[in-house]
Amino acid sequence: MSSPLDSARPSEIPFRNPGWAGNTGQFELTEAEVRGDEYIGARALDGGHPSGAPAFPFMLVERNPDAPLFEGPYKTRFEKILTRYPDVQGALIPVLALAQEVRGHVSPSTLQEIAQLTGIPEAEVRGVASFYTMLNKRPVGRFLIQVCTNISCNLCGGDEVLHAFLEYTGTELGETSEGGVFTVTEVECLAACGFPTAVQINSRYYENVTPAGVPALLDRLRTEAR
Amino acid sequence: MSESATKPMVTATLDGRTVTVPKGTTILQAAETVGVWVPHYCYHPGLSSPAQCRLCLVEVQGAPKLAPSCVTELQEGQVVHTESPKAKEMRQGVLEFYLANHPLDCPVCDQSGECKLQDYVHAEGRVHGRSREPKRGFGRDDYGRDVLFYGDRCGRCTRCVRFMDEVAKDPRLTVVERGNRSVIDTFFEEGLQGSAFAGNIVDICPVGALVSKDFLHKARAWDLDHSPSVCPNCSQGCNIDLHVRDDVVQRLRPRANLEVNHHWMCDYGRHRYEWMNRQDRIEVPVVGSSADGVALEWGLALRQVADRLANAPQPVMAVASASSSNEDLGALAHLVRALGGGEIVFRSERAEKEIPLPGFPTLTRRYDLVPNRMGAEILGMTRVGKDDGTGGLEGWAAHRGTLLVLGDELRDVGVDFGPSAGLYVYLGSYPTPAASSAHAVLPVTTFAEGEGTFANVEGRVQRFWPGVRPPGLARPAWLVLAALVERLGGAAVPESAEAAFLRVAELAPELQGLTYEAIGTQGALLNEPVALPGSRS
Ligand code: SF4
Ligand code: SF4
Ligand code: FES
Ligand code: FES
Repeated sequence: MSSPLDSARPSEIPFRNPGWAGNTGQFELTEAEVRGDEYIGARALDGGHPSGAPAFPFMLVERNPDAPLFEGPYKTRFEKILTRYPDVQGALIPVLALAQEVRGHVSPSTLQEIAQLTGIPEAEVRGVASFYTMLNKRPVGRFLIQVCTNISCNLCGGDEVLHAFLEYTGTELGETSEGGVFTVTEVECLAACGFPTAVQINSRYYENVTPAGVPALLDRLRTEAR
Repeated sequence: MSESATKPMVTATLDGRTVTVPKGTTILQAAETVGVWVPHYCYHPGLSSPAQCRLCLVEVQGAPKLAPSCVTELQEGQVVHTESPKAKEMRQGVLEFYLANHPLDCPVCDQSGECKLQDYVHAEGRVHGRSREPKRGFGRDDYGRDVLFYGDRCGRCTRCVRFMDEVAKDPRLTVVERGNRSVIDTFFEEGLQGSAFAGNIVDICPVGALVSKDFLHKARAWDLDHSPSVCPNCSQGCNIDLHVRDDVVQRLRPRANLEVNHHWMCDYGRHRYEWMNRQDRIEVPVVGSSADGVALEWGLALRQVADRLANAPQPVMAVASASSSNEDLGALAHLVRALGGGEIVFRSERAEKEIPLPGFPTLTRRYDLVPNRMGAEILGMTRVGKDDGTGGLEGWAAHRGTLLVLGDELRDVGVDFGPSAGLYVYLGSYPTPAASSAHAVLPVTTFAEGEGTFANVEGRVQRFWPGVRPPGLARPAWLVLAALVERLGGAAVPESAEAAFLRVAELAPELQGLTYEAIGTQGALLNEPVALPGSRS
């Protein structure tokens, strides 16, 4: 699998944002390298919600559960992350996110590797990873479909949308469909309450989703998956 | 008080009472000094305070919000109400939350009767819960070693997590997941294997979430008598309580002593109590050799033994035990002296390594696996034999003089002990083949049945109290030995263990000036200028 960072992209503007990432001068990194591929450029064209992309840059990247952790550009990013925090505990969440970017989910053995890499006790790494629902503790499909069923979306039919997704993907809640294509989960408020029902698929937001629109949406994703 | 001269003090009003405490004292601790007990879960005097259980909320007059008293420092002139309607209402609300998912299985819960949740809800909780949601369930998890976790009972106070992290320095527990699914766990199946101090988390868990497998369903808390004692399993001398039901020791629990064991004890010591419940006991004095020995009442037995001791063949040699109290050992030394003097030896087990508690290394499982090596040595007794507590008595088989044994079962020597002795008196608690050639076998009480003192590895003399009634005619060794001394024309029998202790000081200048009162429940250093009770800060 070729790393997405291998190919030069037009959006690779030199990274200058000391406020955000603490540019120590130690690394010559582009913003894409720091924030993750897929962050810049692609989002608007895809109709994604801008707020989702920076938070979940990893979700569009090809993932390989057996890939070595933090090699090549990921190693650079891992080291960069460690310099951004006063102590290694602070770096744990972004490191976990980076591991998920590489492997798609954080398995117990991934947690163990991270504990070794950072020197944080294994139990604590597990505690932190388990706290955050955005870290997948089990393998998920190529498309992680997160349907909001919190108040606004719920009032406007979030539950029906969720059931439509389950029905048309033929999966159970949290399970992965055949071929590893879809995983459907229920989430709390996605902060897109003005456009219920909000659905986040990998890093993209889909708004005003209705049960009737679900089959077409899934078809589009299936095409992408090929 | 010299304290007030060096430390600034603050004075405030707490529930209408005036309290004066050093600056920096929390409201919760200040309240304790005037006998006001504020409910709390997450605060523990041996751990850091995360202020997360919200059970210790109190009203500070003038403050907009209730304050968590475990971390809020008392300020000069503050007026604090721990029992105001506002504070009570708030705590009631918090308690209702604790019960929202609690299984209320007190009838089968080991903590019942000593459970903080039970106590607090009983004192100030709602009579009926209002939650109509189904309760979520976790079931139980085996953490390995002696620890069992009942997830549904846990209140997430994280005392256990902080103990493993801060005190055991082995951060193996953590809170996994969040919200009402959060649960205490280790790294998946790792468990607590290999931890030498994990048993303490069972003690500090304020509810029945962490329970001891050894104690599981053995006794109800309200049936247990607690007697203050000292762990007899190594020379650290951790302060403990014997928890006893029907004269059977059910478990050992640490008792706070900030200079010895803080609030903790080691698992090695904690689980070595079964011997205190041994049922094979010497119960009556027997005088005469094993073939023609007769059981006698004490008066006759003592007279006959004393008569023979009056013409004790020389030389006199004695085997003592470093598990005996200073009182017992001192009385033995007095008897040997009354017989004209002689050598006293003891054998004791020694471990290969020490096991320090990393967060409080003053507490270390010591090399010497006996509680009173120090006491035996200041009384001039010599340690012989190997580190497993055997050997060292090779030349004794041929001994033709007088032999005295106190406490040592001499398992490794067996029937070969003392066959040619002119006079052999065995004082012990358990029948042993080594006593078969004895001319008299006298039953003495065990550590759990008597009162006395041990001197620990740093020279701290500590008292223990009886927790179990002795069987049959067993009597404290100091009493038996002093009675023999009296019949040999020596001093009168001391009336109490305390009087016996004072007599030990005649033999050991290190003990001079110490009294039971001065030793109290927290011990006193050998020959330390003794502080009056209560003045110890
Ligand atoms: S198991 Fe006990 S000590 Fe640990 S967090 Fe739960 S209630 Fe507190
Ligand atoms: S350290 Fe020694 S005295 Fe303390 S509990 Fe362990 S064995 Fe007993
Ligand atoms: S409730 Fe669905 S996005 Fe806020
Ligand atoms: S004891 Fe104060 S918040 Fe827990």
